Amino acid sequence: MRVLIADDEPLARERLAALVADAGSEVVASVENGEQAVQEADRLRPDVCLLDIRMPGLDGLDAARLISALTDPPAVIFCTAYDEYALKAFDAHAVDYVLKPVRRERLEQALSRAGRLGANKVDKVAGTLGPHRQRSHICARVRGNLVLVPVQDILYLQAEDKYVVVHHTKGQVLVEDALKGLEDEFGDQFVRIHRNCLVARERMAGLTRGNDGRVFVRIDGSADVLEVSRRNLPGLRKLVRSL
Amino acid sequence: MAIAERPAARSAVTDSAHHWLPNFCSWPVLFALVVIGELVALVVVLAASDTRIPSWQTFGTASLFVQWLAVVWTVSLCKARPLLLRLAPWMAEFAAYSLMLATTAAASWVVFAIDRNLNLGFIDATADQWRFVLRNSVICGLIGGAVLRYFYVQEQWRERVHAEERARFDALQARIRPHFLFNSMNVIASLIRARPAQAEAAVEDLADLFRAALGREDARGTLGEELDLARGYLRIEQLRLGERLRVDWQVDELPRDLELPSLLLQPLVENAVYHGIQPLPEGGVVEVFGSSDGVIVEIRVRNPCPPPAARRGTGNGVALNNIRSRLALHYGERAALLSDDQAGVFECLLRVPLQR
Repeated sequence: MRVLIADDEPLARERLAALVADAGSEVVASVENGEQAVQEADRLRPDVCLLDIRMPGLDGLDAARLISALTDPPAVIFCTAYDEYALKAFDAHAVDYVLKPVRRERLEQALSRAGRLGANKVDKVAGTLGPHRQRSHICARVRGNLVLVPVQDILYLQAEDKYVVVHHTKGQVLVEDALKGLEDEFGDQFVRIHRNCLVARERMAGLTRGNDGRVFVRIDGSADVLEVSRRNLPGLRKLVRSL
Repeated sequence: MAIAERPAARSAVTDSAHHWLPNFCSWPVLFALVVIGELVALVVVLAASDTRIPSWQTFGTASLFVQWLAVVWTVSLCKARPLLLRLAPWMAEFAAYSLMLATTAAASWVVFAIDRNLNLGFIDATADQWRFVLRNSVICGLIGGAVLRYFYVQEQWRERVHAEERARFDALQARIRPHFLFNSMNVIASLIRARPAQAEAAVEDLADLFRAALGREDARGTLGEELDLARGYLRIEQLRLGERLRVDWQVDELPRDLELPSLLLQPLVENAVYHGIQPLPEGGVVEVFGSSDGVIVEIRVRNPCPPPAARRGTGNGVALNNIRSRLALHYGERAALLSDDQAGVFECLLRVPLQR
């Protein structure tokens, strides 16, 4: 069996790799965060992913959601030291997990019965852990590779034809989500300024009025100026004043 | 996340519990009032007994009157409780007291009038209506005041027991993070094979930490011991987090033999790792600076941390509050713990006097 290991602690990775090797499986990748786990899972197509839950940036649960949404996804087994809430959620939805320090027999058992885990099942677990759990990253595909953009790095989202362009601090990517869906999910972090545009509240630098009376939003960390529609202007004024 | 939502509901409960006013709609309170009323009736009847022997009839009438009043109070205070709870405590107290006095005065007036008009003869024929009302009001004022005071003290005591329980629970939570224990065990398990010497050192450090954490709340130690403990903790975390955790110690100025309550510094360092370094993919440096000017010792713990929007779970307020309350207990106003959270840097400043 080909196994991918994701844990932010080097010694934990080392031990897990040794145990997986003892169990007669092959470690194809050993990565230190959720982003790398998703990218490597997409690239190397392992049979099983062993994911630590608490990792900086993209955590194990979010990574599992993205991995389970890949075509022909690998099985996911969670690894955790102590997560009262997560353990209850796993038991409730029959998701497999191993506890740290991991026992060899337990790991072998988990590997041998590793079933495919549907994305909807991981969604359910995440739903039990927090009623309004938002994604921490947005996932896009650039020239065949997966790219993960942390939501906190997003400057603004602009709808174009069938896609939404995600403008973030390090460039821009296309995603297939609908702008409305993104607004529903991240409504507390973004504000609508136009029929086709959502701006991150934290990134709004202020409003400017053009010579022709149109109003624009200035964005922190970007030279772009975005037009505000007449309909969204009153609400936006109020928001800017309260910032 | 689930934890973060709880405090609002909890504080609503404690707000009403803070109130001194008991729940008059409950059987125990009603029973207490009935018993107190009966005692008052007995005392009143006995007090008037030096001129003539009290009859069962006098006692019965007095009981009837007092019990009837007690029931009126209970029902009206029970119904008025939601309104009273909205007032400031002293105003609610005043309102309840006034309510008792007013009902007594009014009831006395009415009872006297009925007795005279129907010629029932329950009340002494020589009595004057105004004096009757005044006498009853004064008795009610004195006894009622004592009763309210009794409920107040009882409620305060109950609140204190609650507060102590909560504080003990919070302290326990702040001192042991199960995550840390199991992760450390995992680290040791992986070290045993390849690097047994390091595994041994890690077990020793872990033992020291748990000895301190499981010790008594009021245990005392020296600043030197506290620094060693924090160092041991950071050694374990460095094994765990690898190069992501870097530490900068500048504590040569500190007097190692200064006596102080134990576990003041280690929780600050633990917070710095748990809330600061661990959630950051690139890690960072935990800085510990110590200085002493001969009067006051200052220890500064500084660490990078993710922006508030990206933090998960509850903040580190529990540990900080626990340290603050222990500082207040030991030093009063002379020690302080300040914290500052801005622009991706979290800083704690611990200030302790050199002289106890």
